[in-house]
Amino acid sequence: MNDTFAGDEKLYRAVFPPDIAQMYWRKDGTVSSAAFADPKGLSVDRGNYKNDREVLTDMSTRFIGSILRIYVKNCVDIGCLIRYLPSGKNPYHSEIHGSDRAVLLSKQQRYYLSKKAIILS
Amino acid sequence: MIAKQIEIRSNIKKYFDLAYEGDAVIVPRKENKNVVIISEEEYSRLNEIARLSAYSDVAQGRGTDMSRSSDVVSSSVKADNLKKLDAIARLKDDWNGNGAKAFEKSFISRIQKLIDQLQIQPEIFPTALQTIQLEFDNSRRDHMEIEIGDDKTAEIFVVLYNGEEYFDHVAVTANALNRKVAQFYE
Repeated sequence: MNDTFAGDEKLYRAVFPPDIAQMYWRKDGTVSSAAFADPKGLSVDRGNYKNDREVLTDMSTRFIGSILRIYVKNCVDIGCLIRYLPSGKNPYHSEIHGSDRAVLLSKQQRYYLSKKAIILS
Repeated sequence: MIAKQIEIRSNIKKYFDLAYEGDAVIVPRKENKNVVIISEEEYSRLNEIARLSAYSDVAQGRGTDMSRSSDVVSSSVKADNLKKLDAIARLKDDWNGNGAKAFEKSFISRIQKLIDQLQIQPEIFPTALQTIQLEFDNSRRDHMEIEIGDDKTAEIFVVLYNGEEYFDHVAVTANALNRKVAQFYE
C-alpha cells in the first residue's frame, strides 16, 4: 500500500462508542452525519481491495461495534482529503480530512458521507 | 384484527406478515395492558402524523391541546430522547476512541430542559465536538440539523428535498427553537 487512493477503494469506519453503536442510528435506518464529526480527523481503515468479510474479520480484532463502508470516490467528490497514516497496530489506518487545510469535515461533507455510508455490521 | 397471545406465539410469521402488509394486530392482555403489532412503515407514518399534528397545534397556539394519540407518540419520543441524553451524559473521556471528552453534566441538563420543552421532537446525536445535534425531517423530505454547543446561538444546516442547502442560526432557547422548527414543518 502507498499513500495514493483510487476512487474505487473502500474505506471502513468503526462507529463509537462501541457498546452503544445505536447512538448514531437514525429511525429510518441510516446513520447520522454526527458520526462523521471528529476534530482530530475521521479515522478509517482502507480496504486495500479486500472483500468486506475479510475486512470485518480483521477490524473485529481491533474494534467492537458497528462498521460503516464508503468509497474513496465519495470523499473525493466533496473535496475531502484522505491521508494514509499506518500505525504499528494498524497497517490500514487512514484519516479523512475536510481539506488540506481543515481536519474537521464541513457539515455538507458529513451529511453527504452519511447518505453514502452503508452499515455493514 | 384481534389475536390472542397464544395464537401469535404459534403463528408469529403469519401475524408479522399481516402487520407488514398493513394490518394492525391487536393483542389483548390482562388488566387491559393490550399491545398492537404494526409495520415499521405504519409506525413511521404515525410518527409523522404526530409531528405534523404537533406543528399544527404550535401554529394554532394549542400547545397543550394535542390529540391523545399524537400526545402518546410525542411523549414516547421525548422519553426516548431524555433517556438517550442520560446515556450521553455517562460517556467517559475518549468515548469515540479518538480523544473526545466526556460531556459536562450541566450541559446535558441544559439540553434536557430544552428537549423537554420542544413541541416537535427531533432525533438527537452526540458529536466529538462536545455538541449535541438535533435532526428533523419533514414530509417534503427536507432535512434540518441544529448543532447545539456552549454558545448562546446554534448553527442550523438545512438540506432541501431538491438538494439545495442553506445555513441559519437560532438562539438556544425553547421558544426560538420551537419557532424555527415550526417554520421548517410549514
